[in-house]
Amino acid sequence: MTAASRQMKLGAFLWATGHHIAAWRHPQAHVTAGIDIDHYIQLARTAEAAKFDLLFCEDAAGLREADVGIASQTSRSIGFEPISLLSALAVQTSRIGLVSTASTSYNEPYGLARTFLSLDHLSGGRAGWNLVTSASQIEAANFGSTGLRPHADRYERAREFAEVVTGLWHGKLDGTSGSGHDGQSFSVRGPLDLPRSPQGAPVMVQAGASDVGRDLAARTADVVFTAAQTFEEAKAFYDDLKGRLAAYGRERDDIKIMPGVAPVVAETEAEAREKYEELQELIPDDVGVALLSSYLSIADLWRYPIDGPLPELPATEGMQSRQALVIEQSRRDNLSIRQLARHFAGARGHWRIVGTAAQVADELQARFEGGAADGFNVMPSYFPGELDAFATLVVPELQRRGLFRKDYEGHTLREHLGLRRPA
Amino acid sequence: MDNGATMHLAVSLCPGTTDASRGAEPEFDRLARFAQKAEAAGLDMVLLADAAPASGGDAANRQVPFEATTLLAALATVTSRIGLVAMASTVAHQPYNLARRFASLDIISHGRAGWHATMAQAPREAANFSRPGGFSRDDFRRRTEEYIGIVQGLWTGWDADALLFDKGGGRFHDPDRMHLLDHKGEFFSVRGPLNVARSPQDRPVLVLSGLSVSDMDIAARTADVILLEERPAEETKASRDDLKRRVAARGRDPDAVKVLMDVLPVTGGEPAGLADKLEEQFRSTSCDGFNILMPAELSAIDDFVDLVLPELRRRDLFRQGYRGATLRSHLGLGGGGDQ
Ligand SMILES: Cc1cc2nc3c(=O)[nH]c(=O)nc-3n(C[C@H](O)[C@H](O)[C@H](O)COP(=O)(O)O)c2cc1C
Repeated sequence: MTAASRQMKLGAFLWATGHHIAAWRHPQAHVTAGIDIDHYIQLARTAEAAKFDLLFCEDAAGLREADVGIASQTSRSIGFEPISLLSALAVQTSRIGLVSTASTSYNEPYGLARTFLSLDHLSGGRAGWNLVTSASQIEAANFGSTGLRPHADRYERAREFAEVVTGLWHGKLDGTSGSGHDGQSFSVRGPLDLPRSPQGAPVMVQAGASDVGRDLAARTADVVFTAAQTFEEAKAFYDDLKGRLAAYGRERDDIKIMPGVAPVVAETEAEAREKYEELQELIPDDVGVALLSSYLSIADLWRYPIDGPLPELPATEGMQSRQALVIEQSRRDNLSIRQLARHFAGARGHWRIVGTAAQVADELQARFEGGAADGFNVMPSYFPGELDAFATLVVPELQRRGLFRKDYEGHTLREHLGLRRPA
Repeated sequence: MDNGATMHLAVSLCPGTTDASRGAEPEFDRLARFAQKAEAAGLDMVLLADAAPASGGDAANRQVPFEATTLLAALATVTSRIGLVAMASTVAHQPYNLARRFASLDIISHGRAGWHATMAQAPREAANFSRPGGFSRDDFRRRTEEYIGIVQGLWTGWDADALLFDKGGGRFHDPDRMHLLDHKGEFFSVRGPLNVARSPQDRPVLVLSGLSVSDMDIAARTADVILLEERPAEETKASRDDLKRRVAARGRDPDAVKVLMDVLPVTGGEPAGLADKLEEQFRSTSCDGFNILMPAELSAIDDFVDLVLPELRRRDLFRQGYRGATLRSHLGLGGGGDQ
């Protein structure tokens, strides 16, 4: 593909009532999203009409906040389980890709491979799996009494897990003698009792950012999601990951890197700013600090003065990359805990753009053409309004510039993303 | 509550052999029409089988190219009244994940979902789930019992009125109406709660099958529906009476558990013949109804609905249409959510 015709990929990242932590309190947010399937069907149709490549559902098998008081001030404690949600959406849409997160720490590869393949059949080849190793203690407590396993162990299990899943999807574990998998964590005979995927195999997505996480992505992923605030961070990540592919015999184009972007868009810049401020005002301090604590993987951030700087932090077994990102930003911009909390609560560590459609498109174009992204995972602040705003304001602007498709090129998710069909 | 005069009817979609080349989309459409036909006829529920994953050359040769819980979610969006019950294995899923999947299905279907668990171990399954040796029979029973307790406990972790949605006051839910499970048992340790709201029908329906004599107490304590394999009428009657006695001994209303008999429809026979057979068994065994096993073929459901059902209705053995909106209410179980 020539540089002139290269187009960006877009994901619609669905998340509770919206990505902004206080989204649910916004007057226009659909507050009952977590119990309203029709709301999700509507969102899926909006994203499909706008020609998004995919819908993306994050996931955690447990509450998000350890503190029940904090949890009760957010809308994130209840919602649909994503595989059932996307299975429902599969037969209510016809083109858009459907990507769900699922954990390698709390599933078995045979069951997971089978479930995603079923979603792939229900959707006619539009399914994808976002592999995560699950870094939360809260989730760990729902699956045993031994607590969160160390980062390296989780990734070793994930590597073996991914190998089994792709072996099943590609028909390598076919149940014949000697073909079975007998490894450190899993023993699986195969084969799957479902026909081959309509797109060869469901799309593999990953969002690991640590060194071992990036290696696993380079080895197995078709799509990589990331969180990057500045152009330089995004570019460094992009170059690093693409640079790792050759070691696994893969080409640079075999992976699409899609950083998260949290736009707040309106007809005028002033309106966009106003909308953003309105959301920021709705964040309770204790909620912001709790969220920041979870990114930093420390429990007692609330002990420190809220208008003071971040304390020194020990190394973490949780999300190493996210912690580094927060620390770097706090130093760079000399931010207090309160300021950081608001900042991260708003966009959850992702890249925030506030402005008009042209301003948002300018920024996306700069990262896309500057070699820092193949596309973006769009994180609307609240639903449905902010997804509608992106679809009706930003998408047409990107299309005018020739940066985004006007219609789907194919039918499967692999076709949308321009990915090779596995043999 | 029903007075015992009318039967409950489920149809089971059974995987069988067929050519896998038919393609996925028409396959779902066909299953959707099957469920819609059963719904138009007012049947209580469709049971979606989930065959034990086979090892061997014929594995891909299944009738239904879908895993049952994903299929249930999809069918929920193209039906509005009929109950939808998926089989899901206690070996394939962790209890937290299974409880969560079904809680979510119950909200997607507006209170029409059920979990079909079996007390029988599928040996071939173990080979794909890192358990080449399987479980001993005793371990499997204790493990399943613990498992079911966890799932049902997780399903009731959120009170029905826990969600406040209070934007102005900043209170999304009431933390006092959300309860930890804090289960620590022989096989599992699960803190909870689920991150899915309370079911619109109080909790998903639990259907149990594959019971041996030693499983009767577990079933009596936990099940909403018990499926018994087709056997001579006296045996079925004895099992049914035994089960109802045990239910009562647990302090539950005997009517809170429905005992359904599996039936293989005699194809090509006189419709009145099957109606006679069902009537006769319904009266002689005192069961609560039937689970009709059929291939996932439209002609099978058409025959049953168009020929046998009118006959049962003429004899006042099956109700006209639905009275409520949830599966619990179709089955005449308590806590149906829409009384
Ligand atoms: C866009 C995006 C979405 C993510 N979604 C999830 C998720 O749904 N569940 C989860 O446990 N982790 C999720 N993560 C976290 C990553 O999987 C990963 O753990 C994290 O980026 C830290 O990298 P590391 O695991 O290599 O340390 C997400 C990360 C990003 C950037």
